[in-house]
Amino acid sequence: MNAEVTKYPGLRPLPPDFAREYPPLALVVEDKCIACDRCPPLCFFDALIMETRPRHKFKRTAVVIPDNCTGCGLCFEACPVDAFVWEPDNAGGKGPLHPTEKTERDLGV
Amino acid sequence: MMSLRTEFLGMQLQSPVMIASGPASHDVNQVRLAQEQNAGAVVLKTACSDKFVHMRSWPRPRYKLLDWDKQIEGRSKTFSLYSYEQGYSGTLEDYWEFIRVSKKHASIPVIGSIFADDVNDWVELAKQVEQCGADALELDISSPHRPGSLGFETTFVAAISGVVKSVKIPVLVKLGPGADVLHQCLAAQENGASAVTLCNRLRGFDVDIESQKPILHGYFAGVGGPWAKYYTMRHVAEAAQSVSIPISATSGIMSGEDVIKYILLGASTVQILSVIMVNGWDSVQRINREIAEYIQRKNLTSLEDIRGKALKAMTSPDDIIRWSGESKRGPRNFWDEGFEK
Repeated sequence: MNAEVTKYPGLRPLPPDFAREYPPLALVVEDKCIACDRCPPLCFFDALIMETRPRHKFKRTAVVIPDNCTGCGLCFEACPVDAFVWEPDNAGGKGPLHPTEKTERDLGV
Repeated sequence: MMSLRTEFLGMQLQSPVMIASGPASHDVNQVRLAQEQNAGAVVLKTACSDKFVHMRSWPRPRYKLLDWDKQIEGRSKTFSLYSYEQGYSGTLEDYWEFIRVSKKHASIPVIGSIFADDVNDWVELAKQVEQCGADALELDISSPHRPGSLGFETTFVAAISGVVKSVKIPVLVKLGPGADVLHQCLAAQENGASAVTLCNRLRGFDVDIESQKPILHGYFAGVGGPWAKYYTMRHVAEAAQSVSIPISATSGIMSGEDVIKYILLGASTVQILSVIMVNGWDSVQRINREIAEYIQRKNLTSLEDIRGKALKAMTSPDDIIRWSGESKRGPRNFWDEGFEK
């Protein structure tokens, strides 16, 4: 296990400085998915559906629709087998909005 | 379901359970879902003025569910929602369209929610919300994620009175928990607010001991959960005894039982959100059903019969009956005679 790996599953495969470099989206590792149906109803953004996979151990798997995914992290929390990983959002491509400026303004107490 | 009917600020709600402003009210589809689930009303996600344009972008990820028992089929009882939530993610134009379309597709009342700092911005946003057809307006002056340190006295009192004077729809003021909440309720009432929403989540913090760093993004985040109901109940009880405007209670509602408790303490309606997150959208219907069962079991005609009833049985600290341990017979401590260590 990598020393950088943290306890919280939502932050598990986290590259260094990920928030600045990659605004990530969720991605299901289909081999790990146990088709428990927990994540699709949890997703507030209709970004998770169950799809049939005839060769899958459970015949079905959860799939993320990247266009809808906001990377909010709820499905990471819900997954009992940690089948989610972060994937850089290549489609959006904009990256986080002015990271340094945002932090300063948010901190501007 | 007829017995769940509640009148709130002149609106006829099919249930006292409303959807709170948040990720469950960010989209027209969710308004439709809320209506299908027989929610009383929907408070839309808070829109920020253009000055806070950075609050339309969300950090990823922005939610953590701490200490979640992860039960399936809507049976989760404990969790803490730890999140760095931001405002409505579209532009103000998108938000106005969002209200219009929601109103067109929903028969349940739609309540707009706004945040700004300058009084003129507040009034401008409030007028737009009214024009777009929202049934009421909530001023989100207490978000745990709000930027800067805008003071209640310096900024928000002026905002409340300014907004109240310029719109005709009812104005709710959403307050945060804390020592000032009663004082703020009174100020909101004095300045003409139609109702108060108690309470927002608190700003909290958590650390991961393995990485020895704060979790999520390293900054304070909003924290709430079922445990938050206990202090909110106290705030609701205090407010209900001091203000005459209706109270919409929100915090830690997991079941119909919690709703009944808030109603017994004088709340008119309740707002739920995180229970939907962990237990699904049908939580709304389940909560409605549990309230209906209670009404039937207690032979009530409506929730109006029990509103504020528990407050009448409240005592003051002076009236609490006390006994002295010494005057009791028998050992009081294990080292007293008769008790082996």
